[in-house]
Amino acid sequence: MSNMKCETVREWVPDYVSGRLARLDDTSVRSHLKACDECRAEVELARLIFESRVDVPDGLANRVRDAVRYDRRSVSRPWWGITAAAVAALALGIGFSSDRPEQSESAIPGYAYELDDENLWLSDDGLIAGAPALDALSDEALLQFLDELDVGGAGGSA
Amino acid sequence: MVRDDEGSGEVLSDEELVERGRAGDDAALSELVERHHAAAYRVAFSMLQEDDAAQDVVQDAFIKAFRALAGFRGEASFRTWILTIAGNEARSALRRRGRRRETALEDAGPVRSQQKPPDMEAVDAQEAAWARKMMGTLPEKQKLSVALRIEEGLSFKEIGEIIGSSEGAARVNYFHGIRRLRELLQ
Ligand SMILES: [Zn+2]
Repeated sequence: MSNMKCETVREWVPDYVSGRLARLDDTSVRSHLKACDECRAEVELARLIFESRVDVPDGLANRVRDAVRYDRRSVSRPWWGITAAAVAALALGIGFSSDRPEQSESAIPGYAYELDDENLWLSDDGLIAGAPALDALSDEALLQFLDELDVGGAGGSA
Repeated sequence: MVRDDEGSGEVLSDEELVERGRAGDDAALSELVERHHAAAYRVAFSMLQEDDAAQDVVQDAFIKAFRALAGFRGEASFRTWILTIAGNEARSALRRRGRRRETALEDAGPVRSQQKPPDMEAVDAQEAAWARKMMGTLPEKQKLSVALRIEEGLSFKEIGEIIGSSEGAARVNYFHGIRRLRELLQ
């Protein structure tokens, strides 16, 4: 018999279906599921998503390694000589092409370097179902949203 | 697998591999590719729904990450960093492609075939392809939040770093995406 709450189970569902839960937690979730239809439906959905994930092409790791090696050899100055500012820019999706010499752009077929210089995450999906952009909301407002999404709260515990 | 040469036989952490890669150790970079290319591919594929384009994105993402390794200070993990770059590269590719096109069911890529624990019902290929197609219809942040949480096992904090949102917003995106998928797939 588990006294675990639905809310806790919902948090763990992804780790449960992918086999990442520690054994004890796994056992608790399992016993909760025996008594809770709603959480069981949630597990089935998550399992479908997990098992539908796309196959990674076999040769990809080697292809990437070759490209990395090629890139390192083809850069005339030390390839690691990029500044911290450029790294921050990279993570923000801001191009840093002015920091690089012209090189090897066309040497690898189908390979292009350029990054667009817009903020890549200011996208169409800032709005969800007419709600204001989530990022602008306070933690309280986000909690309210989660309540409305009925994340485990209403199901009670098994 | 890169191990510590000092003989302890321990598997090196990503942070240690980054350190070695920065010092010019090819084997360390190779191991980082080994560890993270699959997740980067799945992120790229979830956004682009196309194998060739997703592979290009993974390649570009690692090249850019490794070029910038000197400045990587480890405020984020290497994993969240490479996945952020892969996500950004995929978005650039999407924009280059112009308007996102409808992806036919048969173009949805090979379905992962894997052995399932005996108590699990098999997910058949058609059902899987349908699930993936429906995933593809979610708004980007919802799609990524669901994929990163379920397929890669990332925390909402890590997902927030990748999609450029707060932890709470990542959580809401995830549960919105799940609710929408439940409606679409039932
Ligand atoms: Zn429950």
